[in-house]
Amino acid sequence: MGRLFTRMTRKNKRLFAASLLLVMGAMLLMPILMAIPAIASGGGAPAGGPPPDVVAAQKAAGEGEEEKKVEMGRDVYYKTEGPAIGMPAPKTEDNETFYPRYNFESRVLLWFANQQHLYYGSFVLAVPIFCMCIEFAGMVSKDKAMAKKYDQLAYDFIKISLTAYSLTAVLGGILIFTFLTLYPAFFGYLSSIFRPVMHIYALMFVAESGTLYIYYYGWDKMREGVMKWVHVSMSVILNVIGTVLMFLANSWIAFMMSPAGVDEQGRYLGNIWHVLHTALWNPLNVHRILGNMAFGGGVVAAYAAYRFLSSKTDEERAHYDWMGYIAMSLGVAFLIPLPFAGYWLMREVYSYRQQMGITLMGGLLAWLFIIQATMIGILFLSTNYYLWQALGRMTGGERFQKYIKYLVFILVCGLLIFITPHTIVMTPAELKAMGGQQHPVLGNYGVMSAKNGGINAIIMTTILSFIWYQRGNRVPTVSWAKFGNIFMGCFFVVAQLNNVWLACYGYFIPANVRIGLSVPQVAGTLSCLFLMTPLNLAMLRNGRQLGPIQWGKIPPRSQYALIMLATAFTWMMGLMGYIRSSVRLFWHVNEIMRDNSPWAYTHTIGFAANVISFNVLFFWISIMFVFWLGTLGAKKAPVTGPVTQPVPGSPAPQPAAGH
Amino acid sequence: MVELIKEAIGIGWPVFLLLIGLLLYMQASASDPEQKKAVTFKTMIGMLCALLVFIAIANYKNNFYGESRLLPVSLVMITVMAFIMGLYFPNIGALMKIGGFMFFVAAALSGYGNWLPQVEGGFPPPEVKLDFQSMSAQQLGDEGEKIIFGGIGASKTQGAIGKGQCPLCHGFQQGFLSERAPNLYGIPDRAAERLKEPNYHMNDPASRPSVQKEAFEGSGTATNGQEYIAESHACPSCYVVPGFGVKGSNDGESPMPTIHKPPISLNLGELAAVDTWMYVREGKDAPAYEDIVASYEKFIPEKDRPAEGGEEEAGPGGSLLADGSEPIDKLFMKAGCPGCHTVPGIEGATGKVGPVLFEGSNAPNRIKDPGYKGKAKSVKEYITESILDPNLYVVKDYPPDQMPKDFGVKLSAGAVNKIVDYLSQLKEGQPLPPKE
Repeated sequence: MGRLFTRMTRKNKRLFAASLLLVMGAMLLMPILMAIPAIASGGGAPAGGPPPDVVAAQKAAGEGEEEKKVEMGRDVYYKTEGPAIGMPAPKTEDNETFYPRYNFESRVLLWFANQQHLYYGSFVLAVPIFCMCIEFAGMVSKDKAMAKKYDQLAYDFIKISLTAYSLTAVLGGILIFTFLTLYPAFFGYLSSIFRPVMHIYALMFVAESGTLYIYYYGWDKMREGVMKWVHVSMSVILNVIGTVLMFLANSWIAFMMSPAGVDEQGRYLGNIWHVLHTALWNPLNVHRILGNMAFGGGVVAAYAAYRFLSSKTDEERAHYDWMGYIAMSLGVAFLIPLPFAGYWLMREVYSYRQQMGITLMGGLLAWLFIIQATMIGILFLSTNYYLWQALGRMTGGERFQKYIKYLVFILVCGLLIFITPHTIVMTPAELKAMGGQQHPVLGNYGVMSAKNGGINAIIMTTILSFIWYQRGNRVPTVSWAKFGNIFMGCFFVVAQLNNVWLACYGYFIPANVRIGLSVPQVAGTLSCLFLMTPLNLAMLRNGRQLGPIQWGKIPPRSQYALIMLATAFTWMMGLMGYIRSSVRLFWHVNEIMRDNSPWAYTHTIGFAANVISFNVLFFWISIMFVFWLGTLGAKKAPVTGPVTQPVPGSPAPQPAAGH
Repeated sequence: MVELIKEAIGIGWPVFLLLIGLLLYMQASASDPEQKKAVTFKTMIGMLCALLVFIAIANYKNNFYGESRLLPVSLVMITVMAFIMGLYFPNIGALMKIGGFMFFVAAALSGYGNWLPQVEGGFPPPEVKLDFQSMSAQQLGDEGEKIIFGGIGASKTQGAIGKGQCPLCHGFQQGFLSERAPNLYGIPDRAAERLKEPNYHMNDPASRPSVQKEAFEGSGTATNGQEYIAESHACPSCYVVPGFGVKGSNDGESPMPTIHKPPISLNLGELAAVDTWMYVREGKDAPAYEDIVASYEKFIPEKDRPAEGGEEEAGPGGSLLADGSEPIDKLFMKAGCPGCHTVPGIEGATGKVGPVLFEGSNAPNRIKDPGYKGKAKSVKEYITESILDPNLYVVKDYPPDQMPKDFGVKLSAGAVNKIVDYLSQLKEGQPLPPKE
């Protein structure tokens, strides 16, 4: 067999690897493939025919036989007719039967169990995606040393996630027990609705575990040749399974927010696809994938920061400095599109139920979005701070230091504008005292276009910091460098002026027209991101090197920026999860199953903030323990050698090129 | 603070004992005086840190549900502890500094959350059983105003909102900007005009461009103004006013929820009250209650009609003081009137805080008073108004804000009517009215 491989051409090897993977993938995804007929028979088409057995039953009933007549129900969302084969949503009452309790608020206990499971789940789903990218980067890298370094990094990542993986499963078990103990009626109802896919969920979990263990333990065996291709591709399968798992888990919360596939009484109508594919399922899926990635990047960056700060040797410091940088870059790369995914989700929320959107953005939960805005500001400020500190490890980076104060000024102004609230819910008495919905002076603060201007200024400044970082130790030498610099400068100035002008212009036009200004404002920012960053890279191609990147020479305070990023990501995730969940107000399943527990009210912001902080700190304390466990079994030295020290003028080394 | 420290020691005494034991053991095992000194110092630091942690825990425990907003103080204490540990125990320095920093970030964010104005979303409003059928148009209108705006007279307050949630999207005052949904001022007249709009297709629902052609199969379209209003509530997407459709639907679908279904779930009586208010407030004659209900019955099939009174939906705290089935003496007692008022004929009703309730004589004079700003035209209307909105007119020499303003939700409509009936017959110098 081995000989056969060695005789194969590179193309054939890839072909073989691809076929092998296809088979593996097919086997792993077998549960879904097998379930498809069941789903299809559930009436996947919008017209939603009943399953064959029910049709038969109906026919039989129509023929006058003594078959029980199946009542038809109308889908609350899809408006299709279907046989009401499920049980109606239970009408609960505030008693021990429906809501067994300890001497503590059940909702907070469930909140805690859910949040911890979610943190770990997000982390273990995000890390394999990083591994896939980094391992692939290592495999295609022509620089052998760099390839090895990337490979080691990917291995380090998956090693961290492996311990967390078992903890995720444990927490999942705790979550189910918490549900069963504290909310049996509600959990029983949800389980009855999702019964057709619950076994798929379980099987996918088995498949995920199997693939993960093969992927991790087969790392050394599959290090070379065609097996490396198989190994990398296994990470693709791992991620596909992980994503399907997450989509299935998301379908529960999406159903709770925007139920479909059931009638008004909550009876399942035989079409599982409708239950899964609710109004908010896909926006939630996209938002969560991006969120997981940003969060995963944050956690790995914090791990690297911890290892950096506790390093005893320069080699270790260099390795973890680099690891932190890569993790931070990946995290931020997914943070940038996150607001757009959030915007989509919010738009879908508004189109699903306008009141739900208003409760979120202009009603009961509006103050929480002010906290969110502050958090976004903190994330961008930390990112910028890290990049400025990182300039310190590059010869030539000091050229930019004197301009940083101007960036700080723009960032602070942008942040202050961005976090200023506009119309917040007021009591009628307050409104009366103020003489209208808007205060004559304060009403001018926090206008949407100005806030958009603030955040766009922040993002543009971050892009500029990143471009300076890319140029830290390099000078462009292309013939059109001067023109390129002028063009880039002008582009940034015009984009910023456009942003500021639109922010001001918004004050002179009605609110409904003003909303439209966000499009040209965002367009300017995205143009900076997608045009200027590649242009900068093109200019730096074969550029003159002023000196090497001295990995490990970054000031230790920079690592606190990474920790700040990680903590803020975690906190923001807790906050947004709370917002998403509490928007259902007093419904377990929106408009279908009412929450009649003693906790069917919405907590104050302060209480929510305290619980979020507790969840965040519990997660970090527990994951520190996981990190420590990871170091116990560390037989392999993570550092593979001294950091590349390129000769000035020679082609840039990979870490630099990989900015 | 002393209490807090005592509580902290109460929680953490095993740890303190352990540290003391450790100190004694170290003292015994260390021979070098310098080492002994160092060990003592470090153990003391450890004890200080442990004390900080337990104070933080005690504070957390005491303020978990409290309104004092002091919870983040616990996080600050742990931050201080972590940094002290990081300083004096270099082997775990990195971990402690990172941990301390994380606690600091969490404390700052928690503090921020506690510093912002605190809004708590209460339980869903309890549903009060009202006998709409026996109400006058004005009473029905008042109930309608309560459903829309949350209180009688609240329609003049911007931002006021009631169970119906209508002002979230609709404007109600003339000339008010109403971006999300049409301004409803003038709707009694405009409703009939809408039937002539080209996209309405009266009596020809199949030709409608909207996603939903009829409220239910065979319901047909509205044929008069009131039916148009009923259809708009029962089937918002049957006809969408140009420019107010769901984005991208080309005005074929309305963003408005169906009002008789969750989450709003107004029953036919409540819908009739809402409609009546829209007529009454513009000084127009509202259709009879039965006619309004009939207009809704045309568009809401029987199985979809929410039950009157809300059955199991009544949330905690929804109890009434009185429902009107009580004898008049008991009713006054249950409502609590005798505590403040003297009510002739009611035994024990000799309160002096408020005026004597000879309302049959008092009301006509008060309505004529130049300081009177209410809308009542008759004795009964005046009494009803005074019960439901006591501050609207405060009798001379009596202080305002004394009478509770929530009798509208604490008493059933039947109870209010019964009280009003009795009080309206009380005239100074005349025999007392019969009690039943």
